[in-house]
Amino acid sequence: MASRKKVLLKVIILGDSGVGKTSLMNQFVNKKFTNQYKATIGADFLTKEVIVDDRIVTMQIWDTAGQERFQSLGVAFYRGADCCVLVFDVTAPNTFKSLESWRDEFLIQASPRDPDNFPFVILGNKVDLENRAVSAKRAQQWCQSKNDIPYFETSAKEAVNVELAFQTIARNALAQETEAELYNEFPDQIKLNANDNGRNRDGDNCAC
Amino acid sequence: MAAEGAPATRSASGVERRPSAPRPPLNKRGSGSLLSQPASQSRYLWIRIALFEKQLAKIIEHLVNNANRYYERDALVADPDYGGILSSLLVGPCALEYSKAKAPACFWSDPPADELVQRHRMSAGTTTPPSVRRPILNFRRSLNASSDDTGSSNTATGNATGSSAKDYVESLHQNSRATLLYGKNNVRVQPKDVEEPMPGYLSLHQTAAGLIIKWTPNQLMNGYAEREGLDKSFRCHLVHASACQNKCILYSMTEICTVYRRRCAGPLCVDCVYWAMSLQVCAWEVVYVHVHRSQASDALILVGQDGVQRPPIQFPKGGHLLSFLSNFETGLLPHGQLDPPLWSQRGSGKVFGRGKTRRRPMPSLCESGETEEVDWEEAAGDYVFRIVNNAIADREAMRHSLLERAIQSPPRTPRRPLASTSTTSSDSSTMSVDYPHSVGFNIQPPLIPAQLPPVEVEQAASIELVCSTMRRQIISRAFYGWLAYCRHLSTVRTHLSGLVHPHIVPRDGAEAGLTEEIWRSMMDDEGVVTDKNEVYRLVYYGGIQHDIRREVWPYLLGYYEFGSTAEQRSSQDSACRRQYETTMSEWLCVEAIVRQRDREATAASIARLTEAAGKSKPTDVVESGEVFEDDCSVISDNPPIVSPEPCEKEQLKPENKPVLSRAPSIDEVDNIELDSEEKETDESKVNGETETGDSKDHVDIDSLTDIDDDEVYIKSVVENPDMRRESIAEIKRLAEGIVQKGDGRKLLCSVDSANMILNGNDFKSSIDENEKNPPQQHTSVIITNPSVDLAASGSPASGGTTANVSPSRSPLGVVREESQSAGASFDTLEPSIDARPENRSNCVSPASSNGGVYSNELVENFALNLHRIEKDVLRCDRNYPFFTDENLDKLRNIMCTYVWEHLDMGYMQGMCDLAAPLLVMMHEEAVAHALFARLMERAKDNFPSGQAMDAHFADMRSLIQILDCELYELMHAHGDYTHFYFCYRWFLLDFKRELLYQDVFSAWELIWAARYVASEHMVLFIALALLETYRDVILANTMDFTDIIKFFNEMAERHDASAVLSLARDLVLQVQTLIENK
Repeated sequence: MASRKKVLLKVIILGDSGVGKTSLMNQFVNKKFTNQYKATIGADFLTKEVIVDDRIVTMQIWDTAGQERFQSLGVAFYRGADCCVLVFDVTAPNTFKSLESWRDEFLIQASPRDPDNFPFVILGNKVDLENRAVSAKRAQQWCQSKNDIPYFETSAKEAVNVELAFQTIARNALAQETEAELYNEFPDQIKLNANDNGRNRDGDNCAC
Repeated sequence: MAAEGAPATRSASGVERRPSAPRPPLNKRGSGSLLSQPASQSRYLWIRIALFEKQLAKIIEHLVNNANRYYERDALVADPDYGGILSSLLVGPCALEYSKAKAPACFWSDPPADELVQRHRMSAGTTTPPSVRRPILNFRRSLNASSDDTGSSNTATGNATGSSAKDYVESLHQNSRATLLYGKNNVRVQPKDVEEPMPGYLSLHQTAAGLIIKWTPNQLMNGYAEREGLDKSFRCHLVHASACQNKCILYSMTEICTVYRRRCAGPLCVDCVYWAMSLQVCAWEVVYVHVHRSQASDALILVGQDGVQRPPIQFPKGGHLLSFLSNFETGLLPHGQLDPPLWSQRGSGKVFGRGKTRRRPMPSLCESGETEEVDWEEAAGDYVFRIVNNAIADREAMRHSLLERAIQSPPRTPRRPLASTSTTSSDSSTMSVDYPHSVGFNIQPPLIPAQLPPVEVEQAASIELVCSTMRRQIISRAFYGWLAYCRHLSTVRTHLSGLVHPHIVPRDGAEAGLTEEIWRSMMDDEGVVTDKNEVYRLVYYGGIQHDIRREVWPYLLGYYEFGSTAEQRSSQDSACRRQYETTMSEWLCVEAIVRQRDREATAASIARLTEAAGKSKPTDVVESGEVFEDDCSVISDNPPIVSPEPCEKEQLKPENKPVLSRAPSIDEVDNIELDSEEKETDESKVNGETETGDSKDHVDIDSLTDIDDDEVYIKSVVENPDMRRESIAEIKRLAEGIVQKGDGRKLLCSVDSANMILNGNDFKSSIDENEKNPPQQHTSVIITNPSVDLAASGSPASGGTTANVSPSRSPLGVVREESQSAGASFDTLEPSIDARPENRSNCVSPASSNGGVYSNELVENFALNLHRIEKDVLRCDRNYPFFTDENLDKLRNIMCTYVWEHLDMGYMQGMCDLAAPLLVMMHEEAVAHALFARLMERAKDNFPSGQAMDAHFADMRSLIQILDCELYELMHAHGDYTHFYFCYRWFLLDFKRELLYQDVFSAWELIWAARYVASEHMVLFIALALLETYRDVILANTMDFTDIIKFFNEMAERHDASAVLSLARDLVLQVQTLIENK
């Protein structure tokens, strides 16, 4: 009973508008899908308790506005995130293309301790639709190129892979939390390969 | 329950882990313990999960039933009785919902907003209105009322009696302020006008102010029962006290103080009840102590400095008087003494100074006093002691200059500084600082005498000194506090004065709002409304009757001018409509380009996909029309990708080559598809559509050749193609709906064939128009989509006339039709390709205000916006019946038109929400657009590109700080709060998402009218009102930043809007009052 605090995992969902962020969140938390969602303004979050490796954790899932212009608002919400979920629409190639910038933006704004190993999860949503335009292979390739980000093809409408994806999200977030705690015991670590990191990030932190 | 299961069997030990008990797995893993998660804990986890899943009882029951397989004989579960009891006891806990069970430490998993509000309603039966809870707002009132307060405390003395009487009796015992030196019961005193001496309790107290002798009748000591009597006596005291000039100062002091002061004055009240009889004398007021000894009793008389005698205090026999006197003398030390001393050092023991007639020494006593007591007891006689203060010299050295006068002029009644202050302040002569009286007085201990006897002592002086210093400190602190507060308030005023209008517009009779009756009465024969201030006032206080909102809103938003005639307004409307349609025709061109590109992009990606899948779908397409059909419907499944079909593409190609940069492979794919599409459409074309198309053409051309006049043209259009289009659009919409659901492929074809005619038809007519008057058409010249041409040519013509519904809707409709007509119009379009080159050269001419060919950036920019708009429009309030496809199209047009006019700003999420209520109210696109543009003049700053949001947050902060400091403290404690992000959506959308439509209307009217009536920032006050409505919930749950976001998101559209809005008005008034009260 040393510490009574519960594990809270903060998860941020990002992605272009209309890719189904709100739907995914609600499908996972409330097991419901409706086509009545409006465009998210500001930010909202839902919480859900999940069991990860025999531990009960609370996931606080933040749903954000999709238009990139509103991201200045999101900064306040990014802080302290344990995992970032990037969503794209498999029927809209542009939403896939912008994943890169979403990822970069998040890393800049949230400035996690270890950007290279910060847990991301990519969700290709709307696989229930027939007019698919981004192949699983292409998405998979991109994810592999980005430090092997887990990739799931989901359908918020038909609850395909949603549970599985969020389990992974929770697990990775938990790992991140744990790691963060270990870091807390040894603050101000000096990373010897800091330069390499900088290069690998290929301009994540460009001077702007 | 836990105890029940405690007898240690395996399962029982698990049962102990009730959810209420700390749950090990919930613990935040400590750095080490995480990794070495005790195996035992995870071993018992199933019990928790079983409990969560409500299966535990069943599991245990099963175990009990099969105990012989799993348990030893002596296990609890195996016991035939206890096992059954155990499982049945678990049924109850298993019925509970544990997934919601929260540890108190986890703030983030608070119950849903509903529950919080419910809880609050239950727990807070007696909520005080917000204004009462805000001391700061009432500050001025309380400042002004300080004199009233003292007055009221005077009049309300009766109420205070009970408690003060109790205080008084309690003060007879030892307490923090007074040390009890001596106490004796049944000491008799014969008060004035009482025939028999009464028994009472005599006590001697050492207080900061000196020695005090109290005598209280036994009747008071025994529970002070006679209330009426008490009240009466108190009243009498007051009357008495006010009669004495010196004593009327301390009205505001507590009751007991008054009693006390009256006592000091000496004379007793005439109608004495017990309170009046009680005696309280300060030792320093007494000059002489007379002792009269007789056989019956010993009497002690205190003589004050004014020579007035107190009623004799009669001690019972038995050395009590002596004991009192000795205690009295001790109490006087170190600064005072009895003269002659009671005990004098004479030989072996202390000597009781023998009193002479005047200064007669009293019979001496031995130390113990007992032996000679008898003599003393028996010796009758009178003794007099003088009370001396032997430390005057010392004190003089210490004395403050302030007090010097008092000492050096003994004849004058020396006053204690406190008394002097109170006197002067009541005279208001010397003290210039008019500090609140209560501050000065209430801190006075009630037992401090206000008047000093001529004989003063060192102790009193030093205490005086301390007291006066403290008093001055308190006063100065109070003053500086007040000063700082005033400064703060004035700062606040300067900040807030910008938020509200200084002039308070009265509310009289405006509660009903702007009803139709009033509105009609305000309008004169020509439809002129001039009294705009009255309109604003009525709307502000009471809203608008729903039926006339459509008429009034344009005024409120400044679209119509007050004072304009009906005629002016209608011409304004038609001008606006023309303008709107012109703008629309502009962006519709670009939209066509965008659609085509989308189509190509989609085709490319699909091709890539199919290629990747290893299938050569294009060949399939070429081979069979069936497959193509499938393909086509797949594309149109996704609305944003629904795009102009190849027919346009064909035409666009030569034109757009410089603009489009495509990979050749994609081109190929497209071409293949195009070919197939052409084939397909050619085939369908053969189905006799050409004839009908021709005949239609004929009609149109006929009508067109007849007229240069708009109206006739319109007639023909309305009569023939438009009506048809109407019905076709109907079918198409139906089909589209089905297609969007993904199962209407067959239907699509039939619609297509219908559209073909129309398109060809319209196109013909528009070409004709083009030829007739090219300059008028220059905007649409570059347009590659024939349907757009139609729109351009048709809409100006229909402007201001009856047929305005169709032009607004039809262009879009046609675009869609075209998108699905799969090149049906291809054939008929042939002439247009001939016409193109000319047109193109035309558009390059300087006459084109749009600069002819649109730059690539512009097209891309608009494409981006277009896609966003479409996504959001589709999602906008689709649960509202109003938003049918038709009305969504209107909304989309409004959005596109506005964005086209403000491409630098672009579309931002939320604009749809702002435009939707306007469209719902106005129905007509053009006017709704005009109002939206006006609304955006203010609202655009709220979007991320503007600065207004931060300003709103800052203002909210100040307002909360002033109006609700308690809430502010809470917010301040959670640093994040200062960002006020939970209001973000409120401000961005003017509460559109927080309230239901009907309430949004009221809220918006309020905001618009408030601008002219009370505040240009009404949104702030509505936000504040929302916050205040739930302040108790927020405070009770000490919600933090995230909690509050969640709370309000959950509460959206469930607020009591009318209450919130009226609270908002009240808040404005409060701030106005605050600022007015400089």
